[in-house]
Amino acid sequence: MTMTRPVIVGAGVDRVDGPLKVAGAAPYSSDIDLPGMAHVALVRSTIAAGRVTRLDTGAAEQLPGVLAVLTHHNAPRLATGPATNLGPTPPPPLQDDRVRHHGQYLAVVVAEKPYQASAAARAVTVEYEREEPVLRIEDPAGEVRTDPFGMDSARGDSAGALAAAEVVHEATYVTAENTNNPLGLFATVAQWSGGRLTVHDATQWTSNTCQTLAQMFGVPESAVRVHAKYVGGAFGSGLRVWPHVVLAVMAARTVGRPVKLVLSRPEMFTGVGHRPNTVQSLRLGAARDGRLVAIEHEALQTVAMDDENMEPVASASASAYACPNVTTRDRQRRLNIPCPGSMRAPGEAQANFALESALDELSYLLDMDPLDLRLRNYAEVQPQFGLPWSSKALRECYQVGAERFGWSRRDRRIGAMRDGRWLVGYGVAGVSYLWWQVHCEARATVGRDGTAYVRSAATDIGTGTYTVMRQLSAELLGLELDQVRFDLGDSDMPWSPQAGGSGLTGALGNAVHAACRELIRAFLRTVVNDSASPLRGCTIDDVTVSGGRIHHRADGKLGESFVAILARHGLDELTADGVSDPPDPQEVGLAPAGAFAAKFVEVHVDPELGLLRVPRVVSVVDGGRILNEKLARSQIIGATVGGIGQAILEETVTDPRTGRIANANLGDYLVAVNADIGEIDVTFVGEPDRLTPVGTKGVGEVGLPGTAAAIANAVHHATGKRIRSLPITIDELLD
Amino acid sequence: MTVRAFEYVRADDVGAAVAMVSADPAAQYLAGGTTQVDLMLKDGILEPERVVDITRLPLRGITADDRTLRVGALTTMEELAADPTVAGRLPFVRAALLAGASTQLRNMATIGGNLLQRTRCRYFRDPTVPDCNKRTPSTGCAAITGAGARMHAILGAGETCIALHASDLCVPLVALDTVVRVRGIEGERRIPLTEFYVLPGDRPDIETVLRHGDLVTGIEIPLPPAATRSGYLKVRDRASYEFALVSVAAALTVQGGTVTEARLGLGGVGTIPWRARAAEQILTGAPATVQTYRAAAEAELRDPFTVPGTAFKPELARRTIVRALAELGGGEA
Ligand SMILES: Cc1cc2nc3c(=O)[nH]c(=O)nc-3n(C[C@H](O)[C@H](O)[C@H](O)COP(=O)(O)OP(=O)(O)OC[C@H]3O[C@@H](n4cnc5c(N)ncnc54)[C@H](O)[C@@H]3O)c2cc1C
Ligand code: SF4
Repeated sequence: MTMTRPVIVGAGVDRVDGPLKVAGAAPYSSDIDLPGMAHVALVRSTIAAGRVTRLDTGAAEQLPGVLAVLTHHNAPRLATGPATNLGPTPPPPLQDDRVRHHGQYLAVVVAEKPYQASAAARAVTVEYEREEPVLRIEDPAGEVRTDPFGMDSARGDSAGALAAAEVVHEATYVTAENTNNPLGLFATVAQWSGGRLTVHDATQWTSNTCQTLAQMFGVPESAVRVHAKYVGGAFGSGLRVWPHVVLAVMAARTVGRPVKLVLSRPEMFTGVGHRPNTVQSLRLGAARDGRLVAIEHEALQTVAMDDENMEPVASASASAYACPNVTTRDRQRRLNIPCPGSMRAPGEAQANFALESALDELSYLLDMDPLDLRLRNYAEVQPQFGLPWSSKALRECYQVGAERFGWSRRDRRIGAMRDGRWLVGYGVAGVSYLWWQVHCEARATVGRDGTAYVRSAATDIGTGTYTVMRQLSAELLGLELDQVRFDLGDSDMPWSPQAGGSGLTGALGNAVHAACRELIRAFLRTVVNDSASPLRGCTIDDVTVSGGRIHHRADGKLGESFVAILARHGLDELTADGVSDPPDPQEVGLAPAGAFAAKFVEVHVDPELGLLRVPRVVSVVDGGRILNEKLARSQIIGATVGGIGQAILEETVTDPRTGRIANANLGDYLVAVNADIGEIDVTFVGEPDRLTPVGTKGVGEVGLPGTAAAIANAVHHATGKRIRSLPITIDELLD
Repeated sequence: MTVRAFEYVRADDVGAAVAMVSADPAAQYLAGGTTQVDLMLKDGILEPERVVDITRLPLRGITADDRTLRVGALTTMEELAADPTVAGRLPFVRAALLAGASTQLRNMATIGGNLLQRTRCRYFRDPTVPDCNKRTPSTGCAAITGAGARMHAILGAGETCIALHASDLCVPLVALDTVVRVRGIEGERRIPLTEFYVLPGDRPDIETVLRHGDLVTGIEIPLPPAATRSGYLKVRDRASYEFALVSVAAALTVQGGTVTEARLGLGGVGTIPWRARAAEQILTGAPATVQTYRAAAEAELRDPFTVPGTAFKPELARRTIVRALAELGGGEA
């Protein structure tokens, strides 16, 4: 079987969930209401380190509507959750009197109405024994973990090469803490009935939420069902089973009723992760002709006292350029902060800023065009494994981008380009995104009415999974779009990995591919000895599908429809399962490639007032096979906007004395708004990736990294100021 | 989110509303609610027992004669921005309005409420922060030592409080000698906006000369002479929907290269909407040149009170003043 002409796949099909969302009819977890449902409010710590010495819930318990107040005194003891490919599950809440960060949950109030719960939460009084919190990344009082991900790397002799290098650039780069801030507030609705648990949650990973809750509450996985039909964004904050999810389940069990918990915006700042801030030191050594001879990248990031965050930063630099001597080291400092977690392009967003800024700085030392410097060090083969990439069109990204942007019009002299009062700068950055793929399962059914039903426990966090998987299923089964239903967001469906790491479309696409092929095989098996069937004796390699029919490859007329086969054999439907697993690079002899991108940015700076505007960003992306050009483009646009936010606006501010986040709301935490965004030009280049049958590479994150570095590089080009810390704000740009 | 039970009353008579709130220390007015509801329901720092909704009172609308524009306190920010007299005669008032908040907020927010909006200080707005002199007198000031004090004041500020009055609208209004009409239990008063606000001093909790229960019924804006040119320049990191780091409202009359009248208000820098009188003095009668503007800016920012987070603001304020004036009066070298 081969794939049919990509008329459905690739096309800019509108999101299938769009109309529901626009009409406000898509039920997010916060919209779920169950009969008899009670409501939960949370009490959070107002210190960052110490112990709870007294927790008085008496007044709260007397208030109208209050059903229960849970604290570490009376909360059930819970087992720890499973370890996942992202590390351990956050420790279960309310298990002891320790306070490890400001905003930690100390009590849960369950009441009839939401306002009764929140009023009672305020009536809980807490007394503490305070300890001095460790809050700053430079604070030596915080324990440092070396090589926390086991991903530190060394090839060649970077120290020796640096010492001998003709040109050396060395600098320290700093990135601020950012908060994911999906629009949808995370909500969990939990219901126990007869030992079975049903949960509606804002999660990026129903299968893991199911396994985790089963393990923590000591029930079989088969007794837990987690729904996440619609998620109002997450950007990585829904990858883990955060304590509030556990608390909702605990509360529901305690009061024996369904409960709903909706986080407030301030709680979203302390409860569901954030991008950790980093301090990174970069050392680059080069020959006069621009060839890199050494890269040393050391990154220090923050992590919580009692939890982990899988976020390799420096290791991304190991495979970005062809360079014989490379050392990367990651370290984490433990602080009394809410645990960081993934935020769109975790690690890469910070690392790329440092590496691509450093390269830009080196280009000035070499008196070389920064684009030429990148091309000079282009990694033709994967530099760590020495294997050819499964696909790589980064050179084309640079070429097409330079052309679309008008890079050749760049006057290389600093401050030489102007637009009236504004200084104009052009900057470039390259992105080599990491590859990530894991096991995934899907199931496909075709019924007597000729329509298909394909599903997996995966989630669509607003990226378009419903849409692209329906497109892909339709293509693979030779059906029209409206003959296919693709469903997801239910842990009872076949196991799926997280919608994260830009890996879901690849993993799920290949599982759907496998399931659809299996289904066609099932049809062929049904007719293998059927003398009435023109497909009798055919194998999958003999046939193809179109128009609801399986037919011989060579002769389209020789075949029959799914419906005819089912009818003749008295079957209501046929179903098949598909599984995809990441291929072993050594076995296939290819280094798995993630997406690549080139970013070209124009900035305008008013040097007198320090104003910085970004009128133009050109992104050219090698995302492998693009399943839906419109949705892929939206991913790049959205990620670019996020990158602009990281570059010039976003910073979660922690009070240095108390550990309280001082700007935990959307008025004070600045995300980019329309007026900050100029022209965003997006182009896709490259070929389907050779590693997998579907040929995609994830495009959910690749649009973000590169933006900040290209902006900082453009700011330098405009002003001569090298800003090595994000975000770049007015006070840093004042002459 | 935290809620404490309160009684909601919808007022339909000005006198009755004033009488009700004046008699009850635990009662507060509710206009558009964009400040009030945040402070009650989201931040939990205001806990009135009774909320008197004044939005149905007959205090909405705009009238103008040749000399004065009269604006009812319940007129919304969007309505005022759309008014033809404002667009024609007070372009910098319109600019200040449209540079503030978002369209959605401006459709709710009233002019009276804008004058009386509370500071955005992040320490003031968090009840878990114990040290805030404005919220609880004599507890100290967390902002002075805290992080992220960029949005704080450098003029009229001191060790007791550096909270900013963040209104954009008030910046041109204070420059124009706007008068606030107030109804109290003893009747009507007219208070110049320049005397309406009180510097924090020892009592940052006292912000205006109003007594509890006083109702702002409207404002009167004197219209500047036709030859006056005015402008509003707002400097901030985010291009929209952010309060000012520094803003300048300037109205200049220049005749034969000499400034004959100057009105200057500053935003983003003052604990109260800041009338830049020292700068005005230097400007008036001086040649309309960048040197004059710079001297005026220096004079106004002679003695700022800064903390590390606001250290960059005096110079930014000077430059913003010079830029705003140069855009109006010319005189660039
Ligand atoms: C996210 C956000 C961004 C904002 N950005 C800006 C900005 O950039 N620039 C700007 O200038 N403003 C900005 N604002 C502030 C906004 O303009 C004010 O909140 C609004 O003007 C207040 O008007 P209101 O009618 O909603 O007042 P309310 O919230 O109803 O009342 C505010 C206060 O005034 C009292 N009050 C109201 N009316 C009267 C009256 N007639 N007499 C006596 N007391 C009264 C109330 O009791 C209350 O204490 C922003 C607000 C928000 C929430
Ligand atoms: S600046 Fe004023 S409002 Fe802010 S914490 Fe200090 S005293 Fe309170």
